[in-house]
Amino acid sequence: MRGRLAAGLLALAFSLSACSVAPSSSTALTAQGLTRGADGWYGMPLTIERTLPSVTLLSTDDRPVRLDEALLGTPTLLFFGYSSCPDICPIHLAAIASAMKQTRTSYDQVRVVFVSVDPERDTPERIDEFLSYFSARMLGLHADLDVIVDALAQLDLPGPVIEGPDPRGEGDLIGHPAQVIGFDADGRARRVWPFGTRRSDWVEDIPRMAREWA
Amino acid sequence: MNVAWWCSGTPGQVWVWRYTPFLGVWVVVVALIGSYVRAHRRAGRPLDVRLTRRWVAGVVAIMVVSEWPIGALGAGYLATVGIVRYIGLTFVAAPLLIAGTPTWLLDRMLPLSSRRWAVVRALTRWPVALLLFNAVLFGTHLPGTIDTLKITQLGSFAVDVAHLGAALVWWFPAMRREPERGGIREPVRAFYLFASSMLMFVPATFLAFSPLPLYGLYELAPPLWLGFDPLRDQQLAGVLMNTVGGLVLWTIIAIGFMRWAKAEERADEDARRARHSSAGLIREP
Repeated sequence: MRGRLAAGLLALAFSLSACSVAPSSSTALTAQGLTRGADGWYGMPLTIERTLPSVTLLSTDDRPVRLDEALLGTPTLLFFGYSSCPDICPIHLAAIASAMKQTRTSYDQVRVVFVSVDPERDTPERIDEFLSYFSARMLGLHADLDVIVDALAQLDLPGPVIEGPDPRGEGDLIGHPAQVIGFDADGRARRVWPFGTRRSDWVEDIPRMAREWA
Repeated sequence: MNVAWWCSGTPGQVWVWRYTPFLGVWVVVVALIGSYVRAHRRAGRPLDVRLTRRWVAGVVAIMVVSEWPIGALGAGYLATVGIVRYIGLTFVAAPLLIAGTPTWLLDRMLPLSSRRWAVVRALTRWPVALLLFNAVLFGTHLPGTIDTLKITQLGSFAVDVAHLGAALVWWFPAMRREPERGGIREPVRAFYLFASSMLMFVPATFLAFSPLPLYGLYELAPPLWLGFDPLRDQQLAGVLMNTVGGLVLWTIIAIGFMRWAKAEERADEDARRARHSSAGLIREP
């Protein structure tokens, strides 16, 4: 009898665990640590040819930045996200910033560009403030939603979607591509780093980008 | 209300300051206190206030480090809090539970002639206990173990049970005073604790000095605040393991050693007095 009661309690506990805690984050996790490819890179090679999108965005001091012109000449890591993002954006940017520092790669050797997919909340000041937590040398860009959607479409990526309220009570969560895209100095997309890329992966790939994609 | 079985890291789960009771923790707490009281009732013995306080404090320590928020933060968000949980289970809960167990209860649970005691005796021989404790310490702090086990509630529960179990085995010979239970005395006891404090430096040093975050679980967890650096968190965890864990052990070593030295001195003095009084040199008042 006592054994049955204990087993019942245990079963109840496990069934409750299934309906678990807070709602999960906005964007699905796409990787949990990468493995080094046969070519020695952690970033995954792109099978289709894509180039820097032909769109004009605005810098945080409201200067126009045409991606396929302004970003040529230097290897670039491009990431679409938003400053209220609770998980993927700060994790990616923190890992990149830390790896840049550790490998002593300057932002002149590898440019890091953050494009906001949340024009409503992400004012230039807010983008600057957000990026300052990682590195003030990262380039923050913004634009109207249709321009962002166009830029994403040129890279075969879906546009941002509202995914419902942020469990922290900070407005809505926005679904967005979770990968960082790497472009060489000629503006060709070469590799992607999905969410789950760790600092140990970046410290291998970033210096290689600076060396081989310049 | 959100309810879960046990605290664990859930990849991608955004941290929210909203109470989430862990049912398993409450089951364990009720079982530990309930069985302690029931054992006394069955034996017809009154509860010894001093020992009961220790037992309850041990159970409370388990609850504090396993319930929300410390349990959840340590299991899936902050390596520092993860180490606080380890220290709580190993250096607070386990010794209190052992100190709160009366001799008669131990005799009842583990009669000297029983097979159960034979197993416990084998595990609590000090070289075995030292090896076991450190094997669990090293094994459960390997990145592969943390990133595999701590992301599920059952795995996280298993790690906690391993920590508490290994700590109970390890503290047993150092704390039990009954000679038939294999308790060790100074200076072996001091060496035993000293060896553990030294071995603990190894994982702690790895945490403190690794140039990269070792655990994907903490590195990829949604940050609690902007600008959070998982490497700093890990370094702090290593320092905490060294300082707090080391402090507890070194304090016990120092107290034990001073007591031992005092007892030795007293024994020498008694022997001297006995010699002198038999020779008629000291006249007892």
